[in-house]
Amino acid sequence: MASEMRLLLIEDNHRLADLLVAGLARRGFSCDYAPSLAMATEAIAAQVHDVLIVDRGLPDGDGIAWLRDMRRAGYMQPALVLTARDALEDRVSGLDAGADDYVVKPAEVDEIAARIRALLRRPGPRSETQLRFGPLKVDLASRATLCFGRPFDLSRREMDLLELLLRQAGAVVRRDSLENALYAFNEPVTPNAVEATVSRLRRKLEDVGAHGMLHTVRGVGYMLREPAG
Amino acid sequence: MTARRSIARRLFIGLSIVGLVGATLLLIFIIREHQQSFSALGDPEAARHAFRELFEHVLLPILVLILPMGMAGLIVIRRALAPLGRAADQLKVVGGLERGVMIDHAAFPTEAVPFARAVNDLLARLDQAAREHEAFAADVAHELRTPLAVIALELDALDHPDAPRLRAELLAMRRLIDQLMLLARVEAQSLAHSMRDMLELEEIGADVVSLLAPSAIGAGKNLSLGRVGEAPVVTGQRETIAAALRNLVENALRVTPAGGSVTVLVGPGPRLRVKDGGTGLTAERLQELIQRHRRADHASREGAGLGLAIVARIMAAHGGRLDSLPEAQELILDFTPIS
Repeated sequence: MASEMRLLLIEDNHRLADLLVAGLARRGFSCDYAPSLAMATEAIAAQVHDVLIVDRGLPDGDGIAWLRDMRRAGYMQPALVLTARDALEDRVSGLDAGADDYVVKPAEVDEIAARIRALLRRPGPRSETQLRFGPLKVDLASRATLCFGRPFDLSRREMDLLELLLRQAGAVVRRDSLENALYAFNEPVTPNAVEATVSRLRRKLEDVGAHGMLHTVRGVGYMLREPAG
Repeated sequence: MTARRSIARRLFIGLSIVGLVGATLLLIFIIREHQQSFSALGDPEAARHAFRELFEHVLLPILVLILPMGMAGLIVIRRALAPLGRAADQLKVVGGLERGVMIDHAAFPTEAVPFARAVNDLLARLDQAAREHEAFAADVAHELRTPLAVIALELDALDHPDAPRLRAELLAMRRLIDQLMLLARVEAQSLAHSMRDMLELEEIGADVVSLLAPSAIGAGKNLSLGRVGEAPVVTGQRETIAAALRNLVENALRVTPAGGSVTVLVGPGPRLRVKDGGTGLTAERLQELIQRHRRADHASREGAGLGLAIVARIMAAHGGRLDSLPEAQELILDFTPIS
């Protein structure tokens, strides 16, 4: 039962909250629900939650301000902010306050669930040492990689690349951020270095049966995606 | 209708009348004083004397008075009106979407201040009305989102063969509401204060491509970014430019069949080009789609809806335009200033 993820949803619209809790439950998340910031403060102290889902406009204040207070009080679990406002300023202020990701309402349950899974893959005080995505399983402590339960070998750099892509699986990871993460700043990087590592990794993934998972978005970066079908 | 006349011309006419009246009065005064009969003027010597008398005591004093008065008057008028000219220049550079514009009447002559205040009051009322309009449109869209979210969640729980179709309809409705909110923002929100941000078009292109690539790849389509020439920089509002590009890329992905490619090209010059695998849009068809929402005809077989009209507005607000290159299957966000 240790792998059961416990979420806290802070949302003042009861009907919306009930439906969202039910939708997340169907996807294997058990979700507590607080209709106000005061009740959320009680809930967060009473129970350990893996991810917070915070609405912005609540009857007793702004979810973003509350989140900032919680961060100051030492609650560091990843937070997903729900908002009906899609202004860029909101996004920036939200991320500044300690939100880890941001979903514009009305969001599909699938999207929220995918973001929660992505948040849980990110490095953090409560993140797991094992990353799972589709047929892939990576143990970060022992640096072992498995595909469909069968181990396969990766070089140190391929392993680092896979970890970076896995932590943001389902989203495009920009090539320059990969370059910065994979190479020390004084290390000479040839223009095609990342690309070469990506194609080596892609070949190894194909060899172990993970077909069509590693995609190139030309001019931007790379993306790891669950195989179709 | 009375003809418009400049203050200088009015001053000239006024001074001429004063001169004329003054000269007549002086003439009468001199004639009475000297009791000179007009018959005596037959003598050329007396006539010359009389004219000299007239010149020295009538014409000269009047000229000596009126010429400097006129000059001084002209200078005062020019100086007093100069701040009005400067204020007009300041107003001319204001874009149509700028907010909180006021006439600075600190340097105005007292007589012009009530007028400037009245105009400022009017500007403030117009600002207020625009703000209320924007807030209302945003409120309506916002209020629609919660019931939409509830329906989406209800559908999520519904295990019925029709559910996916309803979900797609709901998604289209959400897109329309997003576009309405964007339009409200473009039309009314002050683009001005964020208009001066320097933006790298390639960065915006990379953001939009990253955002849309996962669903494009999921649909078996290829989305990529390229650059031609130098990396262009424009001044403007990042959020709305990104929304304009996103609109074009989403349309392009819709008309591109599975296995096809959509490419976002940055440059040459301050341009973002979206190339798709569809049939291309002629300039006339593009204009039709841009005009569409003015005829309250929202349905569109291309699925473009309000999209292209909003894109055109965003481009106009940035001093650019939306162009089509049908032979290359390209839509272009062109930020080159129209000279």
